[in-house]
Formats: sequence, structure tokens, C-alpha cells
Amino acid sequence: MHIAEGFLPPAHAIAWGVASAPFVVHGVRSLTREVKEHPESTLLLGASGAFTFVLSALKIPSVTGSCSHPTGTGLGAILFRPPVMAVLGTITLLFQALLLAHGGLTTLGANVFSMAIAGPWAGYAVYRLLKRYDVPLMAAVFCGAFVADLSTYCVTSVQLALAFPDPGSGFLGALGKFGGIFAVTQIPLAVSEGLLTVLVMRLLVQSSRGELTRLGVLLQRARPATAPGATPATDRAPGPTMDTTTAKTEAKIKATDQDTGDARTETEARAR
Amino acid sequence: MLPIDAAAHSSRWRRRHPVDKAVLGLGLTALAVSLPPWPGAALVLLTALVVLLGPAGVPARKLWRAYRVPLGFCVTGALTLLVQIGGPDGFVTLAEGGPARAGGLLLRTSAASLGVLLFAFTTPLSDLLPRLVRAGVPVAVVDVALVTYRMSFLLLDSMGRIRQAQAARLGHTTRAATWRSLAGLGATAFVRAFDRAGRLQAGLAGRGYDGTLRVLVPEAKVSRPFVAAAVVLLLSLIALTLVLKKVLP
Repeated sequence: MHIAEGFLPPAHAIAWGVASAPFVVHGVRSLTREVKEHPESTLLLGASGAFTFVLSALKIPSVTGSCSHPTGTGLGAILFRPPVMAVLGTITLLFQALLLAHGGLTTLGANVFSMAIAGPWAGYAVYRLLKRYDVPLMAAVFCGAFVADLSTYCVTSVQLALAFPDPGSGFLGALGKFGGIFAVTQIPLAVSEGLLTVLVMRLLVQSSRGELTRLGVLLQRARPATAPGATPATDRAPGPTMDTTTAKTEAKIKATDQDTGDARTETEARAR
Repeated sequence: MLPIDAAAHSSRWRRRHPVDKAVLGLGLTALAVSLPPWPGAALVLLTALVVLLGPAGVPARKLWRAYRVPLGFCVTGALTLLVQIGGPDGFVTLAEGGPARAGGLLLRTSAASLGVLLFAFTTPLSDLLPRLVRAGVPVAVVDVALVTYRMSFLLLDSMGRIRQAQAARLGHTTRAATWRSLAGLGATAFVRAFDRAGRLQAGLAGRGYDGTLRVLVPEAKVSRPFVAAAVVLLLSLIALTLVLKKVLP
């Protein structure tokens, strides 16, 4: 949910811009460092930004029968990590404001805070927490995407309630009002986005293992054991994150991978 | 290409420097949010509309198609101000002064949106992004934004074709099929994006890529008369608002 251009009073627009600034600056520093060390990352990050932009243009069916578009914050955070998502999200929101008239420039700070900071961080925190407790990858992905989507809308509700407190019951009344309106549509949409993210991730695990390994979402393939009976050694990905998956999930992924053959072609053919 | 960007590329003000258009368009947006909605935002709305359809030469149909999106958000957002929760008359009642607040908000958002649309409809992002370096945005971020911008169109085009192919193969006939098609679409977008990035990297590496993307930016100079006229217009709007605020009820 983008807050429209001019919707927030100037003081609120500035305050949310100031609140977002440290996260975006931190993301910009991470991105600049990454690009300096690996110049080829510019293209991959640009591709990631384009993917985020295109993902937000997908129409997903809502449980209520209407259509909406995913925020993409959960998938983006899991794939690219929240600091990078803060920058990519800001770029995407700027493009949406100027190319699609979604959101706005005066409300960019508020939208960045809800969609590029709060959503990704909340979703990524849940995803990492569940991974730590050996929850299967797809369950963690669903919960991460669900929480990222829902927290985005919760933060938007808070932003609107702060800007437009209810004349009768103040901030809490306005929060209930905006939250209530969002809850009717957004809880089903968060479930929908969670499901969609799981489906996308399942296909990616089959077809883009290399990219997911590079991004640190999956582990690299196990090296052959040096001695009979030795435990297979696994390396962590050299990508920007040092994420882990359980051995069980890894074994499942390997089994799936072996079955797929030329999975990229298959996925594209399936998509067509 | 997206309609707003396509219109910007063929705009009458395409060759003007982005600063010229930013002073006018974003200046109008700033006035819309900072002046009182009545009569300030109403004046800004009228001015932006006249400039868009007149000197800027934006086709009315294209403008309406782009404008109705934010307008829809503004209307639904403003409706919530009409009611209040709690109070002696019931749990949900009409808010006192709600229509005035909702009307003011509608004026402010619609005027502010038009200001940004004036800038967006006359300034292609390909003109704006490379110049952000001079505004202090790190080169790495601008480069990523440039790649994002250029790759977005390719991906959107691919997505459109794949969606058509899915529809032709009855990929949207049932709910389950729709979900499968959507997942395939999302995954293919990822695969295509990374595949293109890889090929672009290989191509650039063969041409001595050193980490910076140099692109040709159309030459344009900031027009002092244009900027001065825009500033005069903005100041006149402020003065007129202050005068009308005293005169009007």
C-alpha cells in the first residue's frame, strides 16, 4: 500500500524521511562497498532491482475475489538481505512514483520506511529465526513473506493514524480504523503473497540453484568425502549473506535438483 | 515502455534541463502540501492542470489515465476522515468537520500529484538518473538504478509475452492454474533478470568494463529565464493564496 503523493502533512513527511535515512544510508554504504569489491555486482544488483520492480507489477488473486499486487518485500529480503533491499526498495519506489504514479515523492520517506525497511527487516527476522530452529525452508519462506507483507501494512496504518488521529478516540481509534480497513483485504493478501513466494522459491530452488547459492540463500553442493564414512563437508556461500539451511532441507533440494535435469529450460517452458 | 515514460520521451519539454522542470513541477508539489488546502491547493491544482495541458503539451487522455490511479487512492483515503470511532452517539459516527478535512486532503493530494505528474510527463528517467551524480547521489547507486531502469522494460516485456503464452495455454482458467502460472512468471522473471545480468557482464567485460557505466546524456543547459518564470509563478501563487485566504470565507 503506497501512501499517495501529498497525503501526509509536511511535518510527518519530513519525519518519516529522517527516520528512513539511516537505514538507506547504511544500505547505500553496503552497496557501494560491494560494488567496489566486485564491480560485476552492479549488474546483478540492477537485475535484482528490476526483478523487485517487476514483481510488484504482478497481479495476484485475493481470497476476497479481487486482485492486488505483491509487495515483494519478503522475497526481496530473503534473496538480497534487508540492507540491500532498503536501497533497491527506495529505487523501486522512486520508479513507481515517477513511472506509474504510485506513491509519491513527498511520501517517499514514509513508503520507504514501511515497504523497504520495516517489511524486509520483519520478514527477514522471522525467516532467520525459523531457520535457526530447523524449520523447513519453504515454511520459513512462507512465514517470512507473510510477516513482511503484514508488517508493511501495520506500519502504514500507524503512519496514517499518526497523521490523521480520530477526532473522537485519537491515535488508537484511527489505528483501529485504518488497521480494520486494511485487515479485511490485507490479511488474505498476506496469505496469498506468502503462498506465491513459496511457489516462486520452489521453482527457483529447482532452476536457479547457482544464483541462490551466490546470494547465500542455499548452501553450496557438498564436496565428496575424503575418507569412507567421513561426514560430507559443506561450504557456506561466498555471497553477501552467510545463511544456512538444514542438512535435511539440503538433501531434499539435492534430490529435487537431480530430478530436474535442465531445470531452467523446464521452468521457462512450464511458465509458458 | 511505460506510458508516462513514453510520453516524457516525446514531450515538448524533453530537451529542457531536468532542473528547469523540477523547479516548476516539484515546486508546485511543495506548495500543494505546504499551503492551506483552500484556496492554496486549489490554485496549485488549477495552475498545474493549465501548465500540463497548455505549455507542456501533455495529451489530456494520457494525463487522465495516469492521474486516475493516485486520485483513486486519494478518494478512498479521504473517505476514512468522514467517520469517527467512539463518542456518545455510537461506535462509528460521522465525524464533526469530517467533510471539510476530507475535502482539504483531496485537494492537497490531487494538486500534489499533478505537480509530480508535470515533472514525470516531461522528464524521462534516462535524462534524470545520470544527473543525480552531480546532486550527490553515489555513483554506485546511480549505476544500479540505471541498470534497474533499463532492465525493467525488458523484463516487463518478457512478462507480458509469457503471460500471453500462459493464457493461450489455458493457464488462467482455474484458480490453481492461475497460481501455478503466477509462480512460473515470478520465477522466470528472476531467472531472466540474472541471465541478462550475466550476459551483460560478459559483454561489458569484453569492452573493458571497469565498474562504471558511462552513458551519453543529452546536452541541456539550465534555462535561467524558465527558472525565473517558474519561481515568479510559484511566488505569485503564494501571494494569491494569502490574499484570497483573507477575502474568501
